[in-house]
Amino acid sequence: MEHIQHDVLAALSAAQTKAELDDIHNRYLSKKGIVNALMTQMKDLPPEEKPAFGAKVNALKKTLEAAYDEAVERVAQAEILNKLASESIDVTLPSTKPDVGTLHPLTIVQQAIERYFIGMGYLVKEGPEVERDFYNFERANIPQDHPARDMQDTFYINTEWLLRTHTTAIQTRMLEDYAGATPVKVICPGKVYRKDDDDATHSHQFTQMEGLVVGHNISMADLKGTLEGLAKAMFGESRVIRFRPSYFQFTEPSVEVDVSCHICNGKGCSTCKGTGWIEILGAGMVHPNVLSMAGFDAEKVSGFAFGLGVERVAMLKYGIDDIRHFYTNDLRFLSAFKRFE
Amino acid sequence: MNVSTKWLSTYVDLSGITPQQLAERLTLAGLEVEGLESIAHGTNLVIGEVVTCEPMPDSDHLSVTTVNTGSEVLSIVCGAPNVAAGQRVIVAQNGSVLPQITIKKTSIKGHESNGMICSLLELGVDPKSLSESQKSGIEVLGTDAPLGGDPLAYLGLDDTILDVKLTPNRSDCNALWSLALEVGALLSRPVYLPKAQSYPEKASSLMVGSETPKCPVFIGKTIGKVTVGPSPLWLKRALNAVGIKSINNVVDISNYVMIETGQPLHFYDASKLAKPEIIVKDHLKGIVKTLDESEIHLHHEDIVITCDGHSIGLAGIMGGDDSKIDESTTSIVIEAAQFSPAQIRHTSRRVNLMTEASLRFQKGLDPMAAAKAVERSTQLLVELAHATELERTVMFGQPDSSPKTVSVTPEHVRTLLGTPVDTETILDIFTRLHFDPVIKGDRIVCTIPSYRLDISVAQDLIEEVGRFVGYGDLQGTLPVMPMTVGGYDARQTMRNRVRSLAVGYGMHEVITYTLVHANKTIQGVNPIPDPDSLISPLSDERQYIRNSLLPSVLESVAYNQAHKQTDFQLFEISSLSNTKTNEERLVLIQAGKQTLSRWQHQERAYDFYSLKGLVEGILEELGFSSQRLSWIPVNDHPFFHPTQSVKLVLDRTELGILGKQHPLIAKAMGMDPVYMAELSLEPLLKAKATKIKYTLINKAPVVVRDLALVVDRSVSASQLEKTIAEAAKGVLLGIEIFDVYTGDRIEAGKQSVALTLRLQGESTLTDAEIAQTLKAVTEALERKHNASLRG
Repeated sequence: MEHIQHDVLAALSAAQTKAELDDIHNRYLSKKGIVNALMTQMKDLPPEEKPAFGAKVNALKKTLEAAYDEAVERVAQAEILNKLASESIDVTLPSTKPDVGTLHPLTIVQQAIERYFIGMGYLVKEGPEVERDFYNFERANIPQDHPARDMQDTFYINTEWLLRTHTTAIQTRMLEDYAGATPVKVICPGKVYRKDDDDATHSHQFTQMEGLVVGHNISMADLKGTLEGLAKAMFGESRVIRFRPSYFQFTEPSVEVDVSCHICNGKGCSTCKGTGWIEILGAGMVHPNVLSMAGFDAEKVSGFAFGLGVERVAMLKYGIDDIRHFYTNDLRFLSAFKRFE
Repeated sequence: MNVSTKWLSTYVDLSGITPQQLAERLTLAGLEVEGLESIAHGTNLVIGEVVTCEPMPDSDHLSVTTVNTGSEVLSIVCGAPNVAAGQRVIVAQNGSVLPQITIKKTSIKGHESNGMICSLLELGVDPKSLSESQKSGIEVLGTDAPLGGDPLAYLGLDDTILDVKLTPNRSDCNALWSLALEVGALLSRPVYLPKAQSYPEKASSLMVGSETPKCPVFIGKTIGKVTVGPSPLWLKRALNAVGIKSINNVVDISNYVMIETGQPLHFYDASKLAKPEIIVKDHLKGIVKTLDESEIHLHHEDIVITCDGHSIGLAGIMGGDDSKIDESTTSIVIEAAQFSPAQIRHTSRRVNLMTEASLRFQKGLDPMAAAKAVERSTQLLVELAHATELERTVMFGQPDSSPKTVSVTPEHVRTLLGTPVDTETILDIFTRLHFDPVIKGDRIVCTIPSYRLDISVAQDLIEEVGRFVGYGDLQGTLPVMPMTVGGYDARQTMRNRVRSLAVGYGMHEVITYTLVHANKTIQGVNPIPDPDSLISPLSDERQYIRNSLLPSVLESVAYNQAHKQTDFQLFEISSLSNTKTNEERLVLIQAGKQTLSRWQHQERAYDFYSLKGLVEGILEELGFSSQRLSWIPVNDHPFFHPTQSVKLVLDRTELGILGKQHPLIAKAMGMDPVYMAELSLEPLLKAKATKIKYTLINKAPVVVRDLALVVDRSVSASQLEKTIAEAAKGVLLGIEIFDVYTGDRIEAGKQSVALTLRLQGESTLTDAEIAQTLKAVTEALERKHNASLRG
């Protein structure tokens, strides 16, 4: 009986196909198989030996059937693996990639700036591109006869209407809407228009983003801290900024804001013309005339304002050489801007 | 503005400060220096004397010279035609670096040469300031030139020119005297301006006046017995350094004083005036012949200088040709006046004449400058043109000389700047600026000098403190104020959702120009009537404010197709703005085909249905399900395919048109037809988006039945769907069209439409209920559309 167990177990573990296993099953484990045949020998034994013999045969049968089931499972697994092996593919062939489009680089940069300010509690405010002279100039502290109002620089539709020359027009409307109530915390993005011939660095249409905060005790230091954060958000954590005194009608004091060059880290390169600094923003403390014209008490509240050109930021950030690319919309240009970085 | 540091240093001590340091200091104080340029360049230069000069035997133009530099005698080969023994010359010694060349010991045809005798051109001096002989030969110095000395210092060419970009509020610094005061204040150094001299004067025969408010002040002075001649070297150099050509001493004085005081002056030849009377007028007609010999046709608003009823000059811009100073002039009339800056700007732009004078008048002048300029020119005319007969100054009007006071509290300075600057520092800055600060209570009261037109409110004073202290040490903080909630409004949110969805669908965003050609204003979808146009556009191409988005986007489409980029999807979302309304629009474009996998041959040409799908997808995202949309065929739009275009209606509001571009229009534009949509987004902001509402999952089994119908081709899918929906109301879960066939195997004019109906009741539908529903459906289809079931 040990002999049989040894032979069958060896045969089962050697078997590779279902047919081989069936064969073993037929010979040993079927009704007429060798194991059942052992049972027939039992009748020839003396009665006292019968129980022990029967138990031995049953144990053998159990062992062999378990081994058989196990072998069947093993062979089935092997057959599946063989089948899968035959299904091999070249994983280096091109993928079937879903088409993904691109946001326009001006949108990418604009949204990035918006994210920074929205995180600090600013509202995004817009206004009409065809604007009244009043909001574009008068309320921005740019009086009649100021050179900026000349036909040579501004697209007039008639004496009252024009294409806005800066997003300051949105700010003057916002101040009027707030009607003296603080806090005011807004950013104002939008298209603006100036009478410039288009070339590599000028465009008669471009995009501005201005910001305005009015409240109690708002200071130049607050302006600097806010714009430092913006410079870092746009051009990297290691950026620093500097203020240079300047002049704008809308603000007093006014400053130009330089950001340390993100290309050379301030050492001097062709992008920053060797100075280590890049002029990016105009800013300052809102002129008291602007505040009082809009109904604020300029004695009690103060504010800061700043403005930047979105094209300029995008050109610096991505190394774009010609402002006209933004409006030509060549797919080779557009496709480059897959994400914000 | 060009500033000569050498000239500036005659008023304020600049010793120990390099031009670079000065430029940096000015820039950080808001007077941005955009460039620095030395008048002449060269290292290792020395004054030498030519001892011997012999022509080189085998050369037709070279000379062999020996030159004494005081410390040694050099043999130098020189190629200049004018070199001669006895001359004092500029020697560039070995090792000298010149703009074009570095001097080394060399040998020319066997003759050793140790240096170069230089022309000013070789030292990089602006050729415009040089005569022909100076350009073609070496510079010959005076016999007083010190041997071994610095030739640039001797010539007054040891000068650096600063290109200062003045902001409009600091036009006072157009006057070198004011700039000197500014520099003195910045550096805390004393400033020495020339003191006015008084001379014996006789009564004036001159009458001056103004008949226009555009000339409130006019000062005149007659000066007799002047001698016109060449200017001294220092004067020539000073003017050359700032880019003004020397003419003669009298004309040069007028320019010199203009640079010093900022006040443009005009000198008339007194003998050429019909009578000693100058009246300023406007509302004149006729022609003025200006100094540059151009003829200016007067407009009524122009300010004109007249004498005896004749126009003799265009005020503030250019004098007349008839009364100009020349070599024979012996007596002159000085004009120093105030003219309306705006009018000078308008006239000068119209006649296209930008002069030093007009630029200065436009920017606004110190009201006291005119008087100062007359005094200073008198002094120089006496000293340099030997004027001896002076008449008294006559003046029309009176410059506003009332002192202006502005005050500020130190606390205001500190809170607005956000920096702890102490009161003493503030007072020191105001003192250095000659603001004469006086403390009254908690305020500092400043008396503002007449030239500081920019100081009128407390914030202006605070700016002075800010720029003097500098913002370098200012520590950034964030505003401390009540919390606010930031974010986008509904319009911006919608716009950004459309953008991200379109990008997810594989579309590229474009931004196009707002200004378009007139013919683009009639080509769009639902163009807004009466488009606005510009009074004075840059070109016809950009004259109109667009009233539809599609024509501009099609320009970008055509551009890309012309550059062999034929398969793409574009979108633009932009506002159409005009004097009456603002309307947000969306344009979608599909061109060519979509390629999923070339090697697996998975390509799909864009068609009407792919565009319709885009629109449905976007509207669904915004909360407007397809059930609320109707697609109404459009067959008469000039720019759309007559049978593949629809008007899209949400509820009852038209959103816009989508479909295939009319092939004939595409052909005319030289492009391949594309699928295009232009939709207004305004109705979406007003319409109510469908709210998301969860209903329990119905666990009753779903019954699926297919129907194959034969109907006339004129019957649309949506009509069939509508009929089915009504007939199977209550149990219909969905309809899917899975086949549409027209062709040989079916009667002409008919189509076969195969659909799957998915039915579901509140509990399991019985066979009878299913049969009853299908019967109702087929009967309704037959009754309404003459549809038969296909066998």
